[in-house]
Amino acid sequence: MGKLDGKVAAITGGTRSIGRGMAEAFLREGAKVVVNGRGEEKGQQCLAEMDAGDNAAFYAGDATQQADVEGIVDFAVERYGRLDIMCLNSGGVQQTAPVFQMSDEEWKLEVDWNLNHVFWGMRKSLQHMIPRETGRVLVTSSVEGKLGKPGIPGYAATKHAVNGLVKAAAHEVGTLGITVNAILPGLIETDIVRETGPDSAIAMGLGTYENLIEAFSGDSAIKRPNTVEEVAAVAVLLASGAGRNITGAMFPVDGGTMPY
Amino acid sequence: MGELDGRVACITGGTRGIGRATAEAFLREGAQVVINGRSAEKGEQALAEMNGGDNVHFIAGDVMQREDCEALVQGTVDRYGKIDILFANAGGASNHAPVAQLTDEAMQDSLVWNFWHTFWTMRAALNHMIPQESGRIICNSSVEGKMGKPALSIYVVAKHAINGLVKSAAQEVGTLGITVNAVCPGAIETDVMMAEGPGAAESMGMTYEELLAMFSEESAIKRLNEVEDVAEVNVLLASAAGAGITGSLISIDGGTSPY
Repeated sequence: MGKLDGKVAAITGGTRSIGRGMAEAFLREGAKVVVNGRGEEKGQQCLAEMDAGDNAAFYAGDATQQADVEGIVDFAVERYGRLDIMCLNSGGVQQTAPVFQMSDEEWKLEVDWNLNHVFWGMRKSLQHMIPRETGRVLVTSSVEGKLGKPGIPGYAATKHAVNGLVKAAAHEVGTLGITVNAILPGLIETDIVRETGPDSAIAMGLGTYENLIEAFSGDSAIKRPNTVEEVAAVAVLLASGAGRNITGAMFPVDGGTMPY
Repeated sequence: MGELDGRVACITGGTRGIGRATAEAFLREGAQVVINGRSAEKGEQALAEMNGGDNVHFIAGDVMQREDCEALVQGTVDRYGKIDILFANAGGASNHAPVAQLTDEAMQDSLVWNFWHTFWTMRAALNHMIPQESGRIICNSSVEGKMGKPALSIYVVAKHAINGLVKSAAQEVGTLGITVNAVCPGAIETDVMMAEGPGAAESMGMTYEELLAMFSEESAIKRLNEVEDVAEVNVLLASAAGAGITGSLISIDGGTSPY
């Protein structure tokens, strides 16, 4: 008996890192899961590694493209007949910089990736969930959704924005059996952080990747990065029946970094 | 295989309401649990209803007395050999009034019931948890630990104070494998709510029914929360998966609090 028996979940950016951790936790609890990512090859590799047979499927799509994000919902419904849990998890930065050096291209990318993707996916999944009067929308936000570190202004701005979107949407659908929540992880050494961290460290004036990790860890009470598993456990709780009365919440998984 | 196999938990005010639901959830996940309350009779009844055999134990005590708080933590260690989880859960407030008419006694009693009891049990538990370099402390705060309501200042103040205590303590023990968190539930119709709610409503110029309706209306779900909502979050915070969550004020309020 899993906590998510019979449920169908879709996860943007689900082939690796936090999204992958959510996918594995959801599968363990009995859900069927659609994972998304840009690369067909990585998607197939992910499916092979998760080894979940017909209970997992991959949908290739770019989270910065509206048609791709909306297509995930259609794919999940077509494949598994419904969508109960939408995890809008993909996000990050590419070539960040302080505001005075920020390029329009990078800014637009971060807005599309971190904010518009969440809006597109949330709108489409709510259109499916509202008539059925049941559903869970989980948004992977960040401690930067409440704080603001120098050198990552686009990330901080877009993560703040999705928190506002979550609060408003939660109130819109609160009586329909649908919850909308944000999970706010502290730094996790995901693949994306390992890839973009060295450049971010320079943009933030920290020099090296190691200094970046230390700067984020040093803000926390636990003095270490968080883990994918810690986020996945919260996602299971919020997605399960036990989470039915938690909505519009900014759920911290940050080792004591945020004061509120 | 439970998520709390081999763990020992201590819960203040655990015979009914949120504490009781948490005790039952902890038992289900394999923990041994000490519950507390003033009345030995209610304690015996709770033990009989929970049917947890040797895995659940009742220690009578008044959380408004420091000696009783400290004896509860020590009694947990005496009974089961250690304390891994403290749920400082008891709380409530009587004799509500607007600040202009508030008595010293009402403010003092609320601070003792909610805040001092949390401090006394937290301090005692940390003195066991720090040497063992592991532990979980969960404090039952409230949506009123983040918000504020007219005429309920004694409760609002005490719950805000608990949230401050949680943030400081979390920073102190963060590298020792000990987490300290607050859960902030919305209104739940527990025994304490049924006992104290009518007085609170009167001080706000409304009926008890209107008070409950007001709490529901503030939320996104337009209904009250339930004890099980809090119990399930407590299991997560107490489990291994909760190791990376500390100093947090977790909203379990159906969308009431904006932060």
